[in-house]
Amino acid sequence: MLGKLLKHEFKATARLLLPIYLVLFVLTIVDRIALSIDFRGALNVIPGFATMAYVISIVTIAVVSLVIIVLRFYKNLMTDEGYLMFTLPVKPSQLINSKLLVSMFWNLVSFLLIIASLLGVFLTRERFGLLKDGIRMVLNEMGKEFGTFNMTLLTIEFIVLVIIALINNILIIYASIAVGQLFNGHKVLGSFAAYIGISTVLQIVVTVALITLGALFHKSFEEISALPQIVFPLTIGFTIIANGLFYWGTNFIFNRKLNLE
Amino acid sequence: MSAILECKSLTKKFTTLTALSNVNLTLERGRIIGLLGPNGSGKTTMIKLINGLLVPTSGTILVDGKAPGTDTKKIVSYLPEKTYLPDWMKISDTIEFFHDFYPDFDSKRANEMLDRLHLDASRRMKTLSKGTKEKVQLILVMSRNADLYCLDEPIGGVDPAARDYILNTIISNYNENATVLISTHLIADIEKVLDEVVFIKDGTVTLHSSVEDIRTKEGKSVDTLFREVFKC
Repeated sequence: MLGKLLKHEFKATARLLLPIYLVLFVLTIVDRIALSIDFRGALNVIPGFATMAYVISIVTIAVVSLVIIVLRFYKNLMTDEGYLMFTLPVKPSQLINSKLLVSMFWNLVSFLLIIASLLGVFLTRERFGLLKDGIRMVLNEMGKEFGTFNMTLLTIEFIVLVIIALINNILIIYASIAVGQLFNGHKVLGSFAAYIGISTVLQIVVTVALITLGALFHKSFEEISALPQIVFPLTIGFTIIANGLFYWGTNFIFNRKLNLE
Repeated sequence: MSAILECKSLTKKFTTLTALSNVNLTLERGRIIGLLGPNGSGKTTMIKLINGLLVPTSGTILVDGKAPGTDTKKIVSYLPEKTYLPDWMKISDTIEFFHDFYPDFDSKRANEMLDRLHLDASRRMKTLSKGTKEKVQLILVMSRNADLYCLDEPIGGVDPAARDYILNTIISNYNENATVLISTHLIADIEKVLDEVVFIKDGTVTLHSSVEDIRTKEGKSVDTLFREVFKC
């Protein structure tokens, strides 16, 4: 059933994002052309306008990706549409999974498309060389500092961290919305309050954890290898625990405390 | 075969009120049953409990011998009082949606009913009036071959002509082993299709009887009895 939920979730979200992706694609080409032509006099405003439209489309994609996370989850599960979704023969956890996976997918696609588009507008043969040299230099320097083993470790940890941090951002929103729906009649307000509350608690816990661990590992933190061997693993571990809690909490509320209006 | 619905000491409390209190109720298969009571008597709470949208505070509720969950959702077809179909969907999308999730959904039957009501499947939900949306929802719900249909106020928002069609749809579309539970306070309109009635008042079941018995023993129609019992 997860497959069918994913299919319909893609259908419901693609209709919002694909048109914006298309606009970005067109504006990327327009801006590239506008920037390459040498306009004279009053026509000079053309590249200016093209770039402005382009920047707006990038911002729109970033915003819409976020809005999809929030709105799809809230509207589809917590409003009248929830009567449809929660009476399907699926587990509440499958509803969460489908929303989470599709949100992650669109966020990654949006991110990659924005990078590709920026390269499409601004990349020239000359800049490509500079970029390549720059990246190679940074990697070389890091490799020298960390050594092969730690560098490999760091790379893997970085990728893992990006993925679970993305999950973390999404699950905080889901948990906030789930907590918010417990406040009858003030569900949106409740969700915002829950988000602020959860984020604050998370900040406090992280700060306390950092201070404690800082004192514990005081000596070893001075070594550069502490980054891949202590700091990153701790951050990953902590984020996974937080993700588990948010997921469990959301699922618990959906199973036991659902309160559709 | 176990009863399609069995409630034992079923109680549901919200923070400020008790919506259902110590309800004991058994519904058999193959009946059309009216769940009748004034506004706020606990009809919707009852139906939401059957569908797993609420969890009982105490007591048990069993659908086909099982607590509400994925298994019972497969055999219960639920029409809420809300318009719950996403407004961006076309009618044809909603049919595909039901077809994907409910193995007992009969797309052919749904399309036939759409045709008979002259509804164009390519229309989007948001372009439909409230009454038309309700018709679409009822068509979807009645196109399933479910064991238990829970219809919450199915005739409230539609015109009398459509009301007759909908009632005919309900009677003609359910198989003899299925039970239809209809919640409403518009009793006169549906009295003729009911086999049994359950009166519910302030969260307690005050009467569970066959319509036949009410007519012979009390010598009145369900509507008259209802007006007497729930006299303000």
